Amino acid sequence: MIAFGCAVEEPDAYRDRAGPGIALAAEPGSAVHVLAATGSECRSYNLVLDQAARHDDLEALVLLDENTEITDRDLCANVRGALADPDVGVIGCVGATAVEGVAWWEGEITRGRVVHRYREYGGGELDAFAWERAGAPPAEVEAVPGFLLVLSPWAVRSLRFDEGLRLGTGFDVDFCARVRQAGRKVVVADLAVVGHRPLELVEETDAWIEAHIQLAEKWDGRLPGAPPRPADWKARARRAEAERDAAQTLVFSSYSRREAQLLPLERELTAMTRTLGWRLTEPLRRLNALRRRS
Amino acid sequence: MIAFGSSITRPDVYRTCAEPGIRLAAEPGSAVYDLPAIGSIFRSYNALLDRAAGRDDLEALVIVHQDAELVSAELCSTIRATLADPDVALIGCAGAIGVRSIAWWEGSVTLSSFVNRYEEHGGGDLHAFSWNWGDAPPYARTGEVETLDGFVLVLSPWAVRTLRFDETLGAFHGYDLDFCLQVREAGRKVVTADFRAIHHRPLEMLPDADEWIDAHVRVAEKWDGRMPGIGHAEGTWRERALRAEAERDAARAVAHSTDLEIEARTAMLEHALAETRGSISWRITAPLRLFGRAAPAERPRLRAR
Repeated sequence: MIAFGCAVEEPDAYRDRAGPGIALAAEPGSAVHVLAATGSECRSYNLVLDQAARHDDLEALVLLDENTEITDRDLCANVRGALADPDVGVIGCVGATAVEGVAWWEGEITRGRVVHRYREYGGGELDAFAWERAGAPPAEVEAVPGFLLVLSPWAVRSLRFDEGLRLGTGFDVDFCARVRQAGRKVVVADLAVVGHRPLELVEETDAWIEAHIQLAEKWDGRLPGAPPRPADWKARARRAEAERDAAQTLVFSSYSRREAQLLPLERELTAMTRTLGWRLTEPLRRLNALRRRS
Repeated sequence: MIAFGSSITRPDVYRTCAEPGIRLAAEPGSAVYDLPAIGSIFRSYNALLDRAAGRDDLEALVIVHQDAELVSAELCSTIRATLADPDVALIGCAGAIGVRSIAWWEGSVTLSSFVNRYEEHGGGDLHAFSWNWGDAPPYARTGEVETLDGFVLVLSPWAVRTLRFDETLGAFHGYDLDFCLQVREAGRKVVTADFRAIHHRPLEMLPDADEWIDAHVRVAEKWDGRMPGIGHAEGTWRERALRAEAERDAARAVAHSTDLEIEARTAMLEHALAETRGSISWRITAPLRLFGRAAPAERPRLRAR
């Protein structure tokens, strides 16, 4: 039996997103563990694991956050396919190798059918994590993100999310590292998912930075499998500070590109809607809008 | 005599950017050293200094990137007024204090009197904050700084004859900060002055990130302990490494988010344009527009940080 689990902070989000996805993907007899979020994300997920571990017939636990919508009718079949390899401990819909820390997406990405649906600017959809050319699943990776984790029965019964990571961020990378440390595999399967998220990847930068440091400290500065860094802390600090300044410069370039790319479009739209003809026909458009509404 | 110099790798760029600016700013009798680049910018600039140093009547040497266009016709008088202080050795139109690395723009920028003119997306200008004094923020001011943007540098005769760009540092990046540090270590002043230039360059600030990172490290190593602030941060080396790696990834995330925002806003605007063009209102008023063609759009004018 493939079980589903979700820790809910915002019931509306669950009703609109995670809930319908679970309904689509679940099989008759699938257990669905929906719990109120409590404490940290790790604490809540561990409660779901405790519940799922009680099922003797457990084949897998699909753990997702309330803003993740499964759009894959064949998810259970795909999960069984991935778990045919008994060494697989965790499955995700996207993941990466060469992961150095919390920002797993800076590694080399493998992606299933993952869509990023946003509300800003009138709403829309983007291919998720599409800034780098991504490999196609199935593939073994080092980390998969916590918005959708499929855990094998071994993972459900043997591991827990580290509640010592008090800032939460990076719990997924840490969990995957422990799965690999235990000799099991983390893989990406071809699962179809919509992530309902804002465009901003990191919302509270200061807390995110502290969480990044916390995870690095836990792993003594190097996750298993991470690309080599200088062994000498001074050399590593020099390099990291240079890379940080380069990244901040990249941000300025992005801001410049944003202005340069959007301004001609905004100017064109303004020019069109300021024309005499457009202004003269405004009553017509209002009338049409009213007609459509009635 | 105020001399001008440029190191040229692309004669076409020099002809369209630097040369017109030099013609505008130079005085009758000004020497112009427009030399082909020889290896690194450090070495090429030293060749300019060697040429200018031999002039007994030298009042200053203005070095411009081949893609930098001076737009202040009164530059020479500004230079003379600034060099009236005999301690001034180096002048620019963009500079900062609180600088800790070759990313001088991460310090507190005090003057930024330039335009970044780009060709992408139909071309346009990004105005830095003190391009127009009328719009400048309260912290905009000329005067002493720790470092300058090297795209335009004005050297005093002392600097031309005493200092050299450090050819051990690499190919390009960091030459400006290192030279400013040499000036300050010798007890002279680095200052900004009220003149302006256009920097004709792409929007991408770091097309060669790996070289830039290497230069960042080399300059930090060279100056750590010699000049306050440079290469300095709080904490042990371990703490610095882990924090910088976190801040690096946070910055990259912001860049990714901005790219997503660009994509989303572009989609929204393109949708609005398509909807407008496809509307009955737009189509039935087409004859009206035939009689009232709008004037060609002027260059986009934007504001950089």
